[in-house]
Amino acid sequence: MLDRLSPQNLRILALFVVLGLVLAFFATQVDNYFNARLFNRISASVAIMALIATAQTLVILTRNIDLSIGSVVGFTAFATGAMVAANPGISPLLLVAYAMAVGAGFGVVNGLLVAYARVPAIIVTLATMAIFRSLLVEFADGKSITSQKLPAWLTDYPNTVLFSLAGVEFRAAFMTSVVVVALVHLALTRLRPARKLYAVGSNPEAAEMAGINQRAVVFTAFVLAGALAGLGGFMFLARFGNITVVAGLGFELKSVAAAVVGGVNIFGGSGTVAGALIGAILVDLIDTSLVRWPLVSEFWREAVLGALILTAVAVDAILMRRLIAWRLRREKARNAARAAAEAQA
Amino acid sequence: MTILKPLLGWEGFLLAVLIAIIAANAALSPQFLTLSNQINLFQLSIEKIIVALVMTFVIINAEIDLSVASMMGLSACAFGWFFQQGVDPVAAIGLCLLIGVAGGAFNGWFIARVGLPSLVVTLATLIGFRGLARVLVEDRGVSGFPQWFGDLGQKGLIGPVPFALIAFAVLFVALFVLLQRTGFGRKTYVIGTNRDVADYAGIDTGRHKMIIFMMSGLVSAFAGLLFAARVGAVRGDVAQGFELDVITMVLLGGVSIFGGAGSLMGTLLAILIVLNLRNGMALVNITGHIQTGVVGLLLIGSVLVPRINLSALRRRPQKEAT
Amino acid sequence: MTLPLLALRDISKSFGMTQALSDMSLDLFAGEVHAIVGENGAGKSTMIKIMTGVHRPTSGRMELDGAALGLSGTQDARLAGIAAIYQEPMVFPDLDVAENIFIASTTLGLVQNRGALRARAQALIDRIGMTLDVDRIAAGLTLAEQQAVEIARALSQDVRVLIMDEPTASLSAHEAAQLRGVARTLAGQGVAVVYISHRLEEIFEIADRVTVIRDGQHISTRLVGEVTPDSLIADMVGRAVGNYFTKAPSQTRPEVLLSVEDLGCEDIFSGVTFDLHRGEVLCMAGLIGARRTDVALTLFGIRPATAGRLRYKGAPVRFTRPRDAIAAGIAYVSEDRRKLGLAMPMPIAANVTLATLAGILSPAGLLRRRQEAGIAEAYRKRLNIRTPSVAIAVGMLSGGNQQKVMLAKWLALAPDLLIFDEPTRGIDVGAKAEVHDLIRAFVAEGGAALVISSDLPEVLAMGDRILVMREGRQMGILPHEGATQESVMRLATGATTLAGAA
Repeated sequence: MLDRLSPQNLRILALFVVLGLVLAFFATQVDNYFNARLFNRISASVAIMALIATAQTLVILTRNIDLSIGSVVGFTAFATGAMVAANPGISPLLLVAYAMAVGAGFGVVNGLLVAYARVPAIIVTLATMAIFRSLLVEFADGKSITSQKLPAWLTDYPNTVLFSLAGVEFRAAFMTSVVVVALVHLALTRLRPARKLYAVGSNPEAAEMAGINQRAVVFTAFVLAGALAGLGGFMFLARFGNITVVAGLGFELKSVAAAVVGGVNIFGGSGTVAGALIGAILVDLIDTSLVRWPLVSEFWREAVLGALILTAVAVDAILMRRLIAWRLRREKARNAARAAAEAQA
Repeated sequence: MTILKPLLGWEGFLLAVLIAIIAANAALSPQFLTLSNQINLFQLSIEKIIVALVMTFVIINAEIDLSVASMMGLSACAFGWFFQQGVDPVAAIGLCLLIGVAGGAFNGWFIARVGLPSLVVTLATLIGFRGLARVLVEDRGVSGFPQWFGDLGQKGLIGPVPFALIAFAVLFVALFVLLQRTGFGRKTYVIGTNRDVADYAGIDTGRHKMIIFMMSGLVSAFAGLLFAARVGAVRGDVAQGFELDVITMVLLGGVSIFGGAGSLMGTLLAILIVLNLRNGMALVNITGHIQTGVVGLLLIGSVLVPRINLSALRRRPQKEAT
Repeated sequence: MTLPLLALRDISKSFGMTQALSDMSLDLFAGEVHAIVGENGAGKSTMIKIMTGVHRPTSGRMELDGAALGLSGTQDARLAGIAAIYQEPMVFPDLDVAENIFIASTTLGLVQNRGALRARAQALIDRIGMTLDVDRIAAGLTLAEQQAVEIARALSQDVRVLIMDEPTASLSAHEAAQLRGVARTLAGQGVAVVYISHRLEEIFEIADRVTVIRDGQHISTRLVGEVTPDSLIADMVGRAVGNYFTKAPSQTRPEVLLSVEDLGCEDIFSGVTFDLHRGEVLCMAGLIGARRTDVALTLFGIRPATAGRLRYKGAPVRFTRPRDAIAAGIAYVSEDRRKLGLAMPMPIAANVTLATLAGILSPAGLLRRRQEAGIAEAYRKRLNIRTPSVAIAVGMLSGGNQQKVMLAKWLALAPDLLIFDEPTRGIDVGAKAEVHDLIRAFVAEGGAALVISSDLPEVLAMGDRILVMREGRQMGILPHEGATQESVMRLATGATTLAGAA
């Protein structure tokens, strides 16, 4: 099995195992651990983070990074709120499209600067993180969005129970997010143009030689990431209702963390959004569970998260090196055996 | 074109920008050029600019340290915790600085020995060190530090000039000599330019990176203590988000994100530009977030502007080294 | 005669003052394996780059099916059905074999049909006669398999002319045989295969015709049945030696500085045995893939030995890091100035003192910059480095002057043993002679030099003895007296072996 399974699938398998172990561990530590509240708490925050981690993954796959993503979420949440407050009758779909278009617009700015002006992504998005945030401050002009200004359908939407299984409620926001992530995952694995994201991140030189338009690919990744972050902004608005100019602050690093824990290689070329989703869930699960673990103060949450990221990356790097070396050795042995057999014949 | 000329050129450009900003500020407000405003302008960002000095080493070495602000927070909170436990404040200061060195060594070990990318390692410790800070003080604030400690942060030590500003000046001179005048500084540039060349020349590049991250931890811990002294209280979120401001200043100063190029003089000029620009904007009532946005524009401009001249000369833009 | 598929007509190419190709003409026919041989630097790679649209010829033209062919970029060459694969394959390590082949294909539609993709990939892999699981990711593939992937990618784009540039240089014997089979199979299917190789036996095995080029010029094109290894070698090296350098008298002293016995490293090379005396220049000759650089890297501690013994200055040693070797007085002048030799954006002076930084520090640890400039200035004069100042970036210098800066860096260390890896590759004749004088001066003062070179006249002119390697094996050591270009080449190509030579 080890020589057939792709590293991508191995990672997802490993993540599920870790997820299971974490659940099993806390089940022995916390009374009445498995309850509906656990699922609801996690699903509510994962609904937003999964989208943003997915957006971040698209960019990281191409060997870039988007540090402006938190500001994009904040801006779109606010702008979408302002839009619906001014036009209460607006159709929900139009509102979602608006959020995504605003996000994509920011993605265009990042994409142009990175792909066409050739400024390193870390510099561009470090700057646009601040610039987009200051645009939000300018746009907000000292006001903030409050849930009273929003139509009921919007604030009700995240908590609408679509169906429930054995008391576990599957709510609309979470399901939307899961469906979107699944669609992106499908696209990344099944759509041929999307595979170019992997090609560009995996070996930019080879991509150029093979006739892939690198710049267009990187540009597209930033635009799509912006659109997904815009959708994340919409979800943020729906969940919290009250939006200030600090909305989405810190999401840039959290999304990178979720992606990295989910097995996305920070140097591009490998990783899946399914992994990023599980990474987001894992991060949130540990976060939520530590609060309920009586043995340890809930203030250990971040420290544990940091350790988790480091462990995930170190173990991943070491295991992947071993796996590749092992496969190479076996291949050599097999070739030698074949050569010996041919020599005998 | 030599190694020095474009740097001088860039530093000259930064200097011109700085003079323009100072002139505009002075015209805007008669208060601007007063000594107290000038000191105040430094004091408000003193922790960031101190860490920017050592971040210059990290980035010239072709690495990055995202964990500096969390280390500031950890050191400040550790000081608060030691203080609460009744540890002698002087001993506590020493212990906090040790924590900084240890945290830097932790980063350095994963980067230099295990070979993980510094972006990921220090992202993890950005979260992890902050987490430890919260473990120490939880959601409380700690204050009531001894008088002399607060005075160090708030009062003038030599005339109106506070300790932190003197520390910044001393550190700048010391690090300037270290980077620009010693073998250690030379190695920092060579390793950042091309680690293989350094390895083949017999330089212990792993140990060098280790030392740089330990320096980064130590100076960050020191800056965290300054924060505690200046504000007189610590909380779990001390210095949160400072890392991006620090990195912005260094990059604006002309230090290449790919390593090997830049100087402390550039960083100093960028620091002065950012401080004066923010101060000037504050004088005309532009708020903090907008100020940061303007600095962001400046950062992108700092990469794009020198390229405009070059691209006119070069027909095809060369691919950046990765 | 039928119309050639691709024809080069009087192609010339110059880079600045260097004439890389002059009046090169070549006909390639569908279904043939056309071997091209020549020494390193004969102009083969320039020719490939012109055929694949990387370079535009200074003069001359190309014809495809008799019609003029203008290539303004690599994309044009791809569309015309011309593709090249190199020693170092270009694969995407994170993608599987099937995707590696079809990633840029425009004929497969929007949605990836995994089954169809696998089937088509499998068909291509079958067509080139390899066994390879198309679901495996490229990161674990051997070099030969990666090359197969690249060939399949070229085939998927309907390649008509496939250029294989030293494809077997880094392959094991078994893998090389596989790849030669691929070349033959493709020719059988009507592809024109251009096969560039230093291994003469390969050419006799698979080529239909063979073209020799030398110094950028076409020397001969013959049917493979009409040539012998000796006639090929004569054509390859047949330059007038008279205008080149002559051997200086040996200065070899009796003291053995370095004694190497049965040295080996993993499965890269093995059985390397020689003594190196003070005052001696030992040249290492061999073709690409002979693993000479790997021997040097092992001696320098980059990749520690896994077999054999090293004695240095009479005592057993083991170097595991360059630092160890440098401390012992061994320096390695790399062939790759850009990647391993010089910090290009840094000043000349800083590069000269790079390996000897400790020597220019004051007691307080400060760089004595005046002393540093003095050292650099001294080497500028001694090595005749042509530069207005030692403060300018070394990257601004010409190749020959960069080479001298790199030499200065190691000479400043005052080493006992200097290992030179292709010390004169890509530098002009004048600088070449200067480098040779330097090496001679170095050994005259009691140092020992190990010189890896692919330039046969250089090997003959410099070497007191010549160690010839082939595919990770030591083929023999020739004394300077009686060594000829032909005798070295015969060993290097495996045309003969010299058992037990010392």
